[in-house]
Amino acid sequence: MLELINLSRSFGDVVALDGVSFSVREGQMLGFVGPNGAGKTTAMRIVLGVLAPDVGEVRWRGEPVDAAARRRFGYMPEERGLYPKMRVLDQLQYLARLRGMDGAEARSSAVRVLDALGLSEPERMSSRVESLSLGNQQRVQLAAALVHRPELLVLDEPFSGLDPVGVDLLSGVLREQVAAGVPVVFSSHQLELVERLCDSVVMVSHGRVVAAGRVQELRGSGNRRLVRVEFRAQPPDWSAGLSGVEVVERLPTGAVLELRDGALERDVLDAARAAGDVTFFSVVRPSLSQLFREAVAG
Amino acid sequence: MSGRLDALRVVARREFVERARDRSFAISTGVTLLILVGFILANAFFNRGTHYDVGIVGPGSAAVGAAAVDVGRAQGAGVTLHAYARSGGAQAALGRGDLDAVVEGGATILVKSSPPTDLVNILQSASAQARVRAAVGRLGLSPAEAARVLEPRPLPVRSLQPPRPHRQSSVTVAFVGVLLLYGQLFGYGVAVASGVVEEKSSRVIELLLSAIRPRQLLTGKILGIGALGFLQLLGVGIVGIVTAKLSGGFTFPPGSAGIVVTVLAFFVLGFAFYSSLFAVAGSMVPRQEELQNSMTPLSLVIVISFFVSIAALNNPDSTSAVIASLLPPSAPLAMPIRVAQGAAPVWQIVASVLISIATTAALVPVAGRLYSAAILRTGGRVRIREAWRAASAERVPR
Repeated sequence: MLELINLSRSFGDVVALDGVSFSVREGQMLGFVGPNGAGKTTAMRIVLGVLAPDVGEVRWRGEPVDAAARRRFGYMPEERGLYPKMRVLDQLQYLARLRGMDGAEARSSAVRVLDALGLSEPERMSSRVESLSLGNQQRVQLAAALVHRPELLVLDEPFSGLDPVGVDLLSGVLREQVAAGVPVVFSSHQLELVERLCDSVVMVSHGRVVAAGRVQELRGSGNRRLVRVEFRAQPPDWSAGLSGVEVVERLPTGAVLELRDGALERDVLDAARAAGDVTFFSVVRPSLSQLFREAVAG
Repeated sequence: MSGRLDALRVVARREFVERARDRSFAISTGVTLLILVGFILANAFFNRGTHYDVGIVGPGSAAVGAAAVDVGRAQGAGVTLHAYARSGGAQAALGRGDLDAVVEGGATILVKSSPPTDLVNILQSASAQARVRAAVGRLGLSPAEAARVLEPRPLPVRSLQPPRPHRQSSVTVAFVGVLLLYGQLFGYGVAVASGVVEEKSSRVIELLLSAIRPRQLLTGKILGIGALGFLQLLGVGIVGIVTAKLSGGFTFPPGSAGIVVTVLAFFVLGFAFYSSLFAVAGSMVPRQEELQNSMTPLSLVIVISFFVSIAALNNPDSTSAVIASLLPPSAPLAMPIRVAQGAAPVWQIVASVLISIATTAALVPVAGRLYSAAILRTGGRVRIREAWRAASAERVPR
């Protein structure tokens, strides 16, 4: 288990992290979300030892993280980067060796990872990184995080800039890692993706954790009641007369409404049917995006 | 893997291999060799002993010619005689440039156009000698008496200070050595700086620092690049020595091996001193384009050291030469020059080495801290003061 305990860090007057704590278990995929500047990258850099915290500590399997433990972590920094002039296979072998593998093991492991990511043609492996397409460079970057068979994966915005094929490839790789018992933490702005992939989520804003827990529980949490109504042609202001009912999201053909106090779903449906031709009516749970907006706003 | 030393080895190996494979390494080696071999061959060409071909025509010329061979030998010039039966043949050879001068009838020195001063002087004194010898012969002295009159014992020469043997060749070896050292220290220092910038500008640095400490990366980089620079210097030196020996135009002064060892040793000292400073210069800037600026102070120090050392070629005992050979920035260039000329007492050599080692030992941790603090700062240029403050706050992993 990876534990971040009460991490704080400031840069001059800017407080990047203000007492952040959370943990990730073996076989768990955790989404780390928050607006830009919330402190996600700072937290991840501290986990990898690239930055030191002002206060707090990071523990791995119950022990304070040291250099030996960090060498067994896999990392994809937000600032992507590889040696542009170094050959792909040499580069991965080098990175694996830096993380403790011997020469032969590092080479075979690099070949294995490249093979899994569809980069195993000899001419690809022997080309310089700078000569690869952007998509393939990103694959090599992912390979760099995986090449030493890490015990933990920390990925900063791994999905940003990927096309749908790349997203599927990366999702598959992360699921495999989790299935093999590797804890995975990744940050992302694509909340639908987080919702689909992660069992848990931590939301940060202004350096603090504002919400954390299992995705299903977060979405089901509280006593919020939401309904989604859609029409063949949306009538204007049809819900204005309903008391205790508020539009939380406007859709092209309808709306998501929140019911408060004694308002009843039945009354909303009656009002909708009276106003127009209803094509869809459902009780919904808040999406991660809605929770995120509220948490950040609150 | 047990960690620190292995990481150093892996980093150093990458630096060495990737750079040795790079085309710019082959080019720089080629250019250095070309300049060095060219210099040696030119040197051999110009230091060839002077040699004259002299035509002999008519009676009396043979005696002058024989005397000219002796006089020439005494002055370090070879004179070869070519006897001609007729003046026309000799003049034709002179016109073709086969001869440098012709002695006609022991009475006239014939040259093509403007007289070659040295040769004319040789022939004049040869003619004077031949005539005196003939006159002495006519006085009826015995050959032994004649020899005593004509070849009196030369005056002994005594120096107040013992002369430096082989001075010219020592200066040449020292000059070539310091030229190579200058190129090597500068070139490989810049290689360290631009290697640091490469990691920073490509952002690979963050990935590296998630695996190893900044100091391991820096030390490994310096060791790898330094080893390549050392081997290149050694290789170029060997090629230079072999070329000089084969060309035959250059006599190595005794103790040349010691000079070579000194040059190599001072490369190690100088590179140890400069490389961590170059690394700091590299860590301060985000892009290669800005490296020139941040290296300016260092470049100035090396260039000034170079010129001070070149001045020491002619005056290795001057106060400025002694000081330059003791200060760590200039010692790697100035000390080999003084050693090559036998001008550096052992205590000064030992002192120079110790001062250099002590300064470097004090400098490297400071440079390491600045480097560690600056290397992850992306965006604009980092100021030394900022880096120092961040390093002092102990919030930078090292």
